[in-house]
Amino acid sequence: MTDAIAHHPTEETLAAFASGTLDEARGLIVSMHLSLCAACSRKVGGYEAIGGELLEQATPVSLEPGALRNVLRLIDKNSAAPDKMPEEPLGRYQLGPWRWVGPGVRQRSVSVPEVSNIKVFMLKAAPGTKLPHHKHTGYEWTCVLEGAFEHQFGRYGPGDFDEADETMEHKPTVCDGDPCICIVALKGNIVLQSRLGRIIQPLLRL
Amino acid sequence: MVEFDAARLIMRVAASQDRDAFAQLFEHYAPRIKAMMMRRGASRDRAEDLAQETLIRLWRKAAQYDPERAAASAWVYAIARNVSVDEMRREGRATAWIEEDGMLEEEDNDEPESLLLVAEREAQVRSSMVALPDEQLRVIRLSFFDGLAHGEIASLLGIPLGTVKSRIRLALQRLRDRVGELK
Repeated sequence: MTDAIAHHPTEETLAAFASGTLDEARGLIVSMHLSLCAACSRKVGGYEAIGGELLEQATPVSLEPGALRNVLRLIDKNSAAPDKMPEEPLGRYQLGPWRWVGPGVRQRSVSVPEVSNIKVFMLKAAPGTKLPHHKHTGYEWTCVLEGAFEHQFGRYGPGDFDEADETMEHKPTVCDGDPCICIVALKGNIVLQSRLGRIIQPLLRL
Repeated sequence: MVEFDAARLIMRVAASQDRDAFAQLFEHYAPRIKAMMMRRGASRDRAEDLAQETLIRLWRKAAQYDPERAAASAWVYAIARNVSVDEMRREGRATAWIEEDGMLEEEDNDEPESLLLVAEREAQVRSSMVALPDEQLRVIRLSFFDGLAHGEIASLLGIPLGTVKSRIRLALQRLRDRVGELK
């Protein structure tokens, strides 16, 4: 499938990413989107140009005597030829095994340290799976990696980015075709809306 | 006297691990990065370490620098920002960006195209920033240089969060418009 990316982070989110003020979990979801979206990467590049200009204007603070010598010594010690390839956004994390979390849905952990009740994980859902109608007590940021799902705000395919917060209710359905794999940063909890959902929620590991 | 040309120096480091070029980059950027790290809450000693770490990464990543895509200063800034993000990670400090409201207000679909800032536009960014009203430049600096979350800027300046966001939005829009004009 070659669908263009239709859903992007807000300008505010891209600016926060560029300035380094997003938490690690959300920063990772944005990085995954940027690795798939040239248009947003260019915008972030524009914001980094602003940061670069502020750096040029900064009042310098002298380094300790011998700082350059120390840096050259560390460079020699780790010798290593310079890196040719940029680091993959997921490169520094470990991915857990896929685990069953509900009918048609598997989840794997992403080793982002849990800070203030924020979790990062990947979800894989079979085509046609209807995820339960739910809302959130915090935010839920998602980047689709493969396949697609849809909910009331549209269809989300590879590279699409979905920012949901506690004001939104969701009832996503996985589109036909391939299984849908997403990476998700979740703060707080998912609250299922149906009575059955509330009964089975303790059984699900979400 | 040859003018300081950071892009060329980075390319010399990439091509031949040129230590003289690296020393010039170090002399120019390390003290500015140290200042940035101190503004971002590092102690003087810690900021020294972080500035050195940034320059080590610059050495390693020099081959990834593409002067067609980014001004040298933007590229160095991004490395320093990543070092600062990693430092917060080590400290287990989650930045508290994004407060209750505002996240989903307007999708900004009518925004002009991307900034498309490449090396040649560096001077244009500079002159556009000089032209910003002080109050806008101030929030931009607090956000991009000092690394403060929008909520933190609001409490520091004693103004509502919405005002911080609108100043940042206006400033970014002006920069984009001016740089767009100059294309």
